[in-house]
Amino acid sequence: PPETRAAARVRPRSAPAPVTDVAKLCVCDLLVAQCDVNCCCDPDCSAADFSLFTTCSVPIVTGDSHLCSQKAAIYSLDVEANPPERIFKLIDQVNPSVFCIHATNYEQALSFRSPEMPTSENFDQLLKRFGSATFSAEPDNWNMNTDAQNPSDVNETYRYEYGVPIRTVDAFLRLPSPVVSSWCSDANPAGFLVNQATKCTRSVSVEKCYNVQAVSMLFYINSSILAVNITVQSIVVQSLNGMRTLLNGSDVIRLPMILDELCINIVLGVSYHITYTDAGEIIEAAASFVLGAINNEVLSIQQSFEISFTQVNTKPVPLSGNPGYVVGLPIRAGFRPQGYPFPVEILFAALVLNTNKYSQLTILQSTSHQDCLAAQGARTPILFGYNMISGCKLRITAAMKCQPLTQTLLDLLKGQSFPEYVASFGNSQAQDVLDWVPITHLHTSEQRISNTFQSSCQIPVSLEIEVKWTKYGSLVNPQARIVNVTATITTTTLKQLPSGRERTIPVTSSVVFTDISSPAEPGYKAWPTINARLPFDFFFPFV
Amino acid sequence: NNSYQLSSVPLQILFYVNGIYYIFYFLATLAMIVYKSQVFSYPDDFLAPDLALLLIMAILEVLRLYFGSKGNLTEEEAPLGLSLVITVGSVILSVYFLVWQTYVLKADVIINAVLLFTYGLESVLKVVAIAAFVS
Repeated sequence: PPETRAAARVRPRSAPAPVTDVAKLCVCDLLVAQCDVNCCCDPDCSAADFSLFTTCSVPIVTGDSHLCSQKAAIYSLDVEANPPERIFKLIDQVNPSVFCIHATNYEQALSFRSPEMPTSENFDQLLKRFGSATFSAEPDNWNMNTDAQNPSDVNETYRYEYGVPIRTVDAFLRLPSPVVSSWCSDANPAGFLVNQATKCTRSVSVEKCYNVQAVSMLFYINSSILAVNITVQSIVVQSLNGMRTLLNGSDVIRLPMILDELCINIVLGVSYHITYTDAGEIIEAAASFVLGAINNEVLSIQQSFEISFTQVNTKPVPLSGNPGYVVGLPIRAGFRPQGYPFPVEILFAALVLNTNKYSQLTILQSTSHQDCLAAQGARTPILFGYNMISGCKLRITAAMKCQPLTQTLLDLLKGQSFPEYVASFGNSQAQDVLDWVPITHLHTSEQRISNTFQSSCQIPVSLEIEVKWTKYGSLVNPQARIVNVTATITTTTLKQLPSGRERTIPVTSSVVFTDISSPAEPGYKAWPTINARLPFDFFFPFV
Repeated sequence: NNSYQLSSVPLQILFYVNGIYYIFYFLATLAMIVYKSQVFSYPDDFLAPDLALLLIMAILEVLRLYFGSKGNLTEEEAPLGLSLVITVGSVILSVYFLVWQTYVLKADVIINAVLLFTYGLESVLKVVAIAAFVS
């Protein structure tokens, strides 16, 4: 029809004018061309519809109540009449207050502003003003700060948190590990600060020497961790009979090759060493390889993989917990060298990474033959949380002198280098002096009857190490912390034997862990206080 | 009629009452402007002229009452004439506050009407006094 086409051609410059006539305003008229239920102001309703209503949902429609006099439309239902009919009244409502608005010379005072309709001219300007998540009332001083932000640089070093897989250029740094069976699976990502050691079986034979990628050195150093290349730290060559030799020039990549019916340069083990900063960035990565050779009969080899993390500028020391001791890990101990206020553990740690006998607390290890003098030097490290007792039998003959026997027994009980300090936390650093607990030495004598006048021979027969530890930290995740270590040596009198006779005395050493943590105390929040204060000079003229 | 005294006593009484009433008027108008700015939408563009004109009106009122009182008591027609001229300005300002203010409340209408009535009465008495002084 031509009317609608004409209407479509006319583009509205602004939104339709708001309805201000109270007689025509109806907020409950929601359905177009249909009667809304209980809507007395709906023009679509007929008298028959009104007779079915129960109440009027909109009883009065007024203008702004601040005005002194305003028009009001009142709708009501006359239920007395039969049938009920709607009553419509148009009255002047008067505001009795003396502060009612008599007149206003400001057009937008009592109504909402009509928003600007977007057209092709002002669309860009409107988008600039209102296109973002926030906009202010004054478009002039709206600053475009979002443009000044630089996009984050992709080349920035990536910061890791504990357990996050280490990203390489294409995917993640992989540490092959057995998944369901013992066969290697290459899908195990290495997590940051998660020291792992895995062993798995790889199927390889001399014919497939060049085909299997996972036995070639290139597979493990090809992918570079973001911005850091994996360098080859050392190569150990293992011969067919198991003898290992460290190669001198270790920056050459040796690829598998077939030589005299053997496939050599097969990767038997990889050990990654990642150096990180305390901000969580990886700055160095090195890999040590163990290469071996296989012959025709071999169908599969066992590969071992390891990854360890070292913080930059610190010496790598195996932790026994982070920070509290973990049950089953050895207790870390150390010495205070002459002149230095910190334990000398750091000097020893540089030599051997994994097992460091000088920095552990050890106890005599029982052997099958139970002869103390024959079992020289067999010691086992003390593991946190495991009470141990061990011992041996000492055969004393008449020919033994007191002083050498005492010294031998002390060496037996305490070992060659009994440490002086024990780390209170599993990750105590050698530089933090206060994190180390000194070992207290006590001497007791077995015989209560103190025959001190008699200068008899006292030989040590028992060493008891008592480790007192406490729970430290939060209630949900308590950390074990060693508070006190006491080494008690019990001595007994050596009675002089008649010649030819011999005695056997038992020598024992034990370790006991005692939990001395105090019970948790409940903590309650303080009661809220009413803070009502008068100003300082409230009673000014009088006070 | 005391022929030796030309000063108009009713005019002086009216000046006195006008002064007191104007103090009340000034405080009431100022308070209502503050009320309007809190309750209604009162942009700064409209608030500034209203406050400025109220201040000007207060200054004019002080001058007007001073000159009028001085002229009446010294029986000189020059200050009284000046006061009459200033009254015209005050009337215009009062009409502004009655009709052209941003928000005209009913209370505004009442106090401005009283002020205008006072001005009218004063003007008549001033003209009579000037006529008495001149002759």
